[in-house]
Formats: sequence, C-alpha cells, structure tokens
Amino acid sequence: MTDLQTVLSAFRDATGCAAAVWAEDDGRLPSRLAASTPAVGVLGWTPPFDVGPPHAVDSPGGPAIVTAIQGPRRCWLVIGPSSEPAAPLENYLRFLLPVVSQYLQSALEVEHAANELAERYEEINLLYTITEILGRTVALGEAASTILKEVSETVGARRGSILVHDRVTDTLQTVAVLGVPALEVPPIALTDECSVSAHVFRDQRAMVVAEDDADPCPAEAFYRRGTMLSVPIMWTSPGGGAEPLGVVNLSDRASGQAFSAGDQKLVTAIATQIGTAIQNSRLVRASLSQQRLVQELELAHDLQMKLLPRTEIVDPVAQVAARVVPAESVGGDFYNLFQLGDERTGVMIGDVSSHGYRAALIMALAMSASAIHAQGSNDPGRMLGALLGTLREELATTEMFISTFYAVIDKRAGMIRYANAGHPHAYHVSGDGTCERLPALDPPLGMVESAQSARTRPWVSGTDLLLLFTDGVSDARDLFGRRFGEQPIVDTVRRMHAEPPYTILQQVFAQLSDHTGTAVQRDDLAVVLVRS
Amino acid sequence: MSFALRKQGDVVVVDVEGQLIVGNRQELKQKVLDELERGEKKFLIDFSQTGYIDSSGLGVLVSLSKKIREQGGELRLANLNDDLKTLFELTKLDTLFQIADTRERALESF
Repeated sequence: MTDLQTVLSAFRDATGCAAAVWAEDDGRLPSRLAASTPAVGVLGWTPPFDVGPPHAVDSPGGPAIVTAIQGPRRCWLVIGPSSEPAAPLENYLRFLLPVVSQYLQSALEVEHAANELAERYEEINLLYTITEILGRTVALGEAASTILKEVSETVGARRGSILVHDRVTDTLQTVAVLGVPALEVPPIALTDECSVSAHVFRDQRAMVVAEDDADPCPAEAFYRRGTMLSVPIMWTSPGGGAEPLGVVNLSDRASGQAFSAGDQKLVTAIATQIGTAIQNSRLVRASLSQQRLVQELELAHDLQMKLLPRTEIVDPVAQVAARVVPAESVGGDFYNLFQLGDERTGVMIGDVSSHGYRAALIMALAMSASAIHAQGSNDPGRMLGALLGTLREELATTEMFISTFYAVIDKRAGMIRYANAGHPHAYHVSGDGTCERLPALDPPLGMVESAQSARTRPWVSGTDLLLLFTDGVSDARDLFGRRFGEQPIVDTVRRMHAEPPYTILQQVFAQLSDHTGTAVQRDDLAVVLVRS
Repeated sequence: MSFALRKQGDVVVVDVEGQLIVGNRQELKQKVLDELERGEKKFLIDFSQTGYIDSSGLGVLVSLSKKIREQGGELRLANLNDDLKTLFELTKLDTLFQIADTRERALESF
C-alpha cells in the first residue's frame, strides 16, 4: 500500500491536513492500512468506526472526520487533524474519498488476479508433477498414491480414491486411497446402483455429489465426506473411440466449499493422464508377454531342430543333405538317419498331419520311437509297424496321422528295402537320371490297423540317389496361389543327379524360393537327398 | 470355401466348394457329426467343386469315416478330380474309402 501512502502524504503536503485509511481483516479490529506521514497528533489513536454517514470525531491532534468506504472490503477514511484550525474537512473528504475508493477497488482487482494466477500456476505445477511421476514408472500402482496426494492437495480435498476397472471381475478396484488404509476398501461392482463411482464409470461423465444425495454405498463411505467430485478416467484410442478405465474420487474439502467447474476441469485433465498411464502399463505388460512368447517359440524351434540328426552321422557310408523348415516356429515334418552297421543306412522322412505345437509333439515322439525301433528291426515294414504300435494311442486321441517313408540302403548288398505309409513323394534316381517313384504301400500311420509292407529293389552304390520330400514343398504357393508341384523338383534332381546331395538340395530350395517369393509359407517343408 | 448339405433320399450329400484344408476341416467335421447325431447313417461327400485337400483335410475324412462306421453308417466319396485321385492313390487312401466317379454311381452303391 505504499502507493496509497504516497497519495495521502501528497495530500497532507498540499493541504496541511492528515489523512489515513483503516481496514478490517478477517473480523479482527481495523488497523491502519495507510496514512500520510508524518502522523502528527494521531499516533496511538484509534478512531471510532461506524458504517453510517461521515461523522466528526476528536483526535488527539484536533478535529477529524471518519467515513466508511463503499466496497467489498470494510475500510474507513479518516481526514484530519489539520494544521489549519478552520480547515474545510468536508471539502477535503469529497475530494479524497473517490480517489481512495478507486485505489482500493483497483488494488482488490489486482489481488484477485494475482490469486487467480497463483491457482493456475499451482494447477500447471500439478500437471507437470504428475507427468513426471507417470514418466518415471510403467506401473500405475506405484504412482497412484503420489498422484492422488498431489491432486488432493491442489483442490484442498482430504479424502479421495483412484479406482481402476478390473476386466476379469468387472469391478472397480481401489489402487490408491487417501484418508483411510487401502486394505479396508472393498471393490465396487459396476452394476452397483448406489455407487457414485460405478454410475460415473457407466455414464462416462463427471459428477459432483452433495453430502445428502442419498446414502453412500458402503465401499465409498470410506472416503466420501461432504461433497464428492467423481471423475471418470478415460482413454481415447488413436482411432478416436473413448473407453472408461476407472474413476477418481475427491471429497472432504478443507474449505467446506463445493467443487467448482475449474476443479472438475483440472481433475478431468489429470484423469486423462492417468488413463494414458493405465493403457501404457497394459500395453507394456502385453508387449513383455508377447516378447516372452516369441522367445519361447524361438526356443521351441531350436529344440525341435536339435532333434533332427546331423547328416554327418551316417558318413562315410552315406552322403546326406537334408533340411526342414517349419511353417510356424515348430512343425510336424521330420527326417531321421540311422547308422545300422555293415554299411547299412536307415533313412526316414515323416509328415505329421497339420502343423504347429500338436504336430511338433507327435513329431518328437515319432523321432525318439523310430530311433529305438530302427535298431530293433532291419526290416522297414516291421520298423514302421512297431512305430505305429508306439504311436497308435496318441494318434487316435489326437486324430492325427503320419505319412512316412522309411528305407534301409544296404551298400554292400546293393539293395534298398523300403516301407511307405502314405508318403507320396519318394523317388529312386538312378545313375542315368531316371526317376522312379517309390509308391505308398500302405495308408499313413494312424489311419489303419494293418501291418506295414515292404519292398526291395537294386541299388547302385555311389551312383543312385534317394529323393524324399514332403507335400509342403510340392504344394508351396506363389503370390497368385499357384502350386510349385512335384515336377520342378524331380527335373532338377534328374538334371543334377551326379552332383553332391548338398549342391542339389541348395538348388531345390533356391528354385522353391524363386517360386514362392514373398508369399506366406503355409506348410512345413522337408527335403532329404541320400547317396550311399 | 463352404459346405452345402442336402438330403437325397436317405443319403446326406455334402458338397465341398473350394478347398478342404486345416482352416475349414473342423466345420465340415461338425456339420457331418451333427447329422450323424440326428440319426443319419448314409453320407456322400462330393468333391466335384473341390480344388485341393491338404493333409489335415485327409485326416478329417478318415476320422469321419471311422465315426460313421462306429455308428453303423457308411461314407462314400465321389467326383475326385485327377489331382485328388492321384493324391488318394499316392497315399494309399483309395484303399480306405469307397470312391465313385459320379454322384449318381455313389448314390446307387448305398
């Protein structure tokens, strides 16, 4: 009030008459707000205050006039005493009263503006604080209590809660609560008709509920005192659809005043940030879960590939090139190789119907069982019969079957003996490039109970090739849905039959890749080439 | 890809349009099993409009054949195109099913 002081002092200098402004603060006795200096003759004197018209009083320094100043604040203007005994105090009053009134009015407006600015600053500070809190964490649980405390302080609430929708139980679960231990607050069913929170969540609209607006629901009674502001926590997807995720409740305001539209706006802004945090937290959890799943699938793929034997295990009796490419991370195509002694090599290819995990489990079972039975019998028919005996129950319960081809190449005797259970793609490639299909002798394993037959044919050691592949190769589609077919593979192998098996295998897969391009692989692929 | 079921006399005739593959085999299986549950005994699956059957499609045919037989019924197949015929021959599945060249012959054979 130094400006007012200056005005009053200037007035005294000009007129020789003292002037002072008194004001009442918060119901206490009025005190001097400003006065002309020096305050000759009035120090220690308190004028009588009255709300009536201007009235003359006697001050220690001489006559004076006191008058109340109109306005929202209770203030009085005191004119006098004057150094001139006959000073026109009424005239001075008429001159000075409008000036002081205008000054006080302006000062009040400035004060209001400053308060308003302080409040806005406080709100901005709250938004920054919450952004920082949420930025430091991905789990809302850790941040919720701090956020609730900050918001409550800003709007002057002493009780409150943050509730988040649990999709499994379809209830609002308390993640933070102020004014009562969190453990005591039970969840609220979304169908609860007496719950303000459930109502706000369902309607997706904020509400201010007065204390006497019906009985509070038991769960809300913990943190509802007086007027309660209840705001939905919303999340708006990039597509524009809004989804409610929870509710923020605030009550028991220290000032006892109702929540204003500004409070509601502020809490709505905070609730939006909380909504984004909840959604981010869910996305992070889903992403981590997806990442774990991918890692597990990669592990399953590696494990399955490790079940397939290295082709070197039959060296030097046979030279083998083989490759399996599952359509998913794991699949049902497989091959197996056995060193059977006396320059005999067992070669097997199999295709479990369907693909994915179920097929992979049957494949693993077939791999381990075939390894046992191959050593137990030199006859491919009996070996497949024994394999069916092991897998029968599993195939029946899963309604799966295996098309499989198993051959024993006897290098010393110059013979190949094979059994074929429904496997369509097995070829004997002779030294002159002739390709002859080794047809299925029985339906696939798991389709019939019958014994497995076998056939023997001559084999030219070091020259002849055995070509085996699964239907995933011949059925591979290009981007226009056209099949790769059997013929391109057979032609390639016939043309390159004198080359090492691995070179031929590379060429087959290069051709296959040229055909399919970027088309999605629909089935598992397996190719095996054997020279012995 | 769809399956049309209609009754011709006392035979349930199923037309397989498009493909019979891993993605739709369960639908075929359920439709046929529903009819079996209602007491139907004679089934004919007509492949005249079918381009391709994958290994799981073959599996569902075998599974249906077994279930129909267990209930004292019969399953016939008809109108396999050349590719499908070859597939059935190469996998020896032709020994498991009664396959007719035309729908009429299949119906007569019941």
